[in-house]
Amino acid sequence: MGLASFDDVVAAHHPEIYRYLRRLTWRAGEADDLAQETFLRAYRAWQGLGPEANVRAWLFAIATNLARNHFRSETRRRRAYVAVGDRRPEAEPSGPEEEHVFRETRALLDRVVAGLPLKQRLAFTLRKVHDLDYGAIGESLECSPDSARAHVFQALKKIRVSLNGHALPTMEPTR
Amino acid sequence: MTPKPSSCRAIESDLVATATGEGGATAVRRVTEHVDGCASCREELGRYRAIDTVARGLRDDTPPATDVQASRTALQARLADLRSRVLRYGIVPSPLGNILVARSEHGVTMVEYLGEAQTLSGSRLRNLVDVETVEDSAEIARLRDDLLDFLAGRRRDLGWRLDLRLAGSDFRRAVLEAAVGVPYGAVTSYAAIAKRVGKPGAERAVAQALRWNPLPIVVPCHRIVGSSGKLTGYAGDKLGLKRQLLDIEGVHTQPASRDFRVVREAMYVRAGEDRAYCLPTCGDLPSHTLANLTLIASREGVDALGLEPCSDCRPDLHPLAS
Repeated sequence: MGLASFDDVVAAHHPEIYRYLRRLTWRAGEADDLAQETFLRAYRAWQGLGPEANVRAWLFAIATNLARNHFRSETRRRRAYVAVGDRRPEAEPSGPEEEHVFRETRALLDRVVAGLPLKQRLAFTLRKVHDLDYGAIGESLECSPDSARAHVFQALKKIRVSLNGHALPTMEPTR
Repeated sequence: MTPKPSSCRAIESDLVATATGEGGATAVRRVTEHVDGCASCREELGRYRAIDTVARGLRDDTPPATDVQASRTALQARLADLRSRVLRYGIVPSPLGNILVARSEHGVTMVEYLGEAQTLSGSRLRNLVDVETVEDSAEIARLRDDLLDFLAGRRRDLGWRLDLRLAGSDFRRAVLEAAVGVPYGAVTSYAAIAKRVGKPGAERAVAQALRWNPLPIVVPCHRIVGSSGKLTGYAGDKLGLKRQLLDIEGVHTQPASRDFRVVREAMYVRAGEDRAYCLPTCGDLPSHTLANLTLIASREGVDALGLEPCSDCRPDLHPLAS
């Protein structure tokens, strides 16, 4: 694979990888450092990547691995949790009630997700925010697709319990 | 808190899967049938669906474009730095032993004889500062094929783009560039190279520069010998490899007092930068050292240089036995 094509990889995937790491760390500086390290590592290994490789999933796996190392530090985990707690919902107080509930719920969700066990948090973010399939999530977390699915489901159950008593957006009936 | 009935607990995973759109047909049917008769699970299904909808809404939550751009700009600067420092290498088994070939994005940076070694241990590559090495056999595969063709005599010119960053100084770089100009199947002297780089008399310095040639074979220092025609040295103590390389190119050598010398009687001669070539017996050439001569092993080599036959000795009419 040529050198020029790595520039294409950066152009195509950097925004999403940065967004992923920003959501995990909630801090621009840390997301920036991790995103740079992700692509520097990717560059070193790029030439050995097979032509059939899923580059996007591969980059998420590198970023996830770096994030896991990053969050081995209790201080960093706490810093991310505090940072997400400082965020204010963007809802206009005078906006429609349903929109207000939606944004409040989203802010709560961010906070609950930031407090999840790391694997569940990563799996949930990869699945719900970045729409990776369970095979790719399993590669990122070094587990089977079934385990990846279980992490996401566990995360959803914990979120559900944490949001007990809070108003949620009204959904259309299932049928 | 009243525990959930077992039927509700049993269906919980299917309920989550259904709510998030990940349930199969069977799971969806089971959940649908169950919630028809269970208000609690029906409400639970609605709450999971609400959570999933809000979670998917996070996809629209993007960081400020200025932050993304700043990160990208910083990344590009670091990538440019890394690119300039990364050397990708492979180890090529060859008739001359294992040979390490390393390249940067600018060109081939290092060729090194490893002998029997199959790893970087003992390689000069390990001692380089400010360089990152990455083993990359795929990247080196084409170079390996070229090199093996060259060593088998199937290829006369490697044609590789070179990165001379490891030359060490401007003088050494100039020496390497001058050595590249010595064609296949030809031999000249350290003294002649010293003249070509504008340092007549600096043949010892030239010999030192070539002793540390980071690109043997491709910068053909094996074609540079002493003014007496003796081989004198190669890549430290690898005189045998120098003889092998010269032999591949049709340059014959013979023993000469604890060394070997080029058999100049079997080679055409070019004096300085003349446009003519001679037989080795032409005029007083036999009494000249190689300080100002280039010896060429074959008519093919002479033709490649575009030289004319000398009008006195007429090497075109009296070719040397090949």
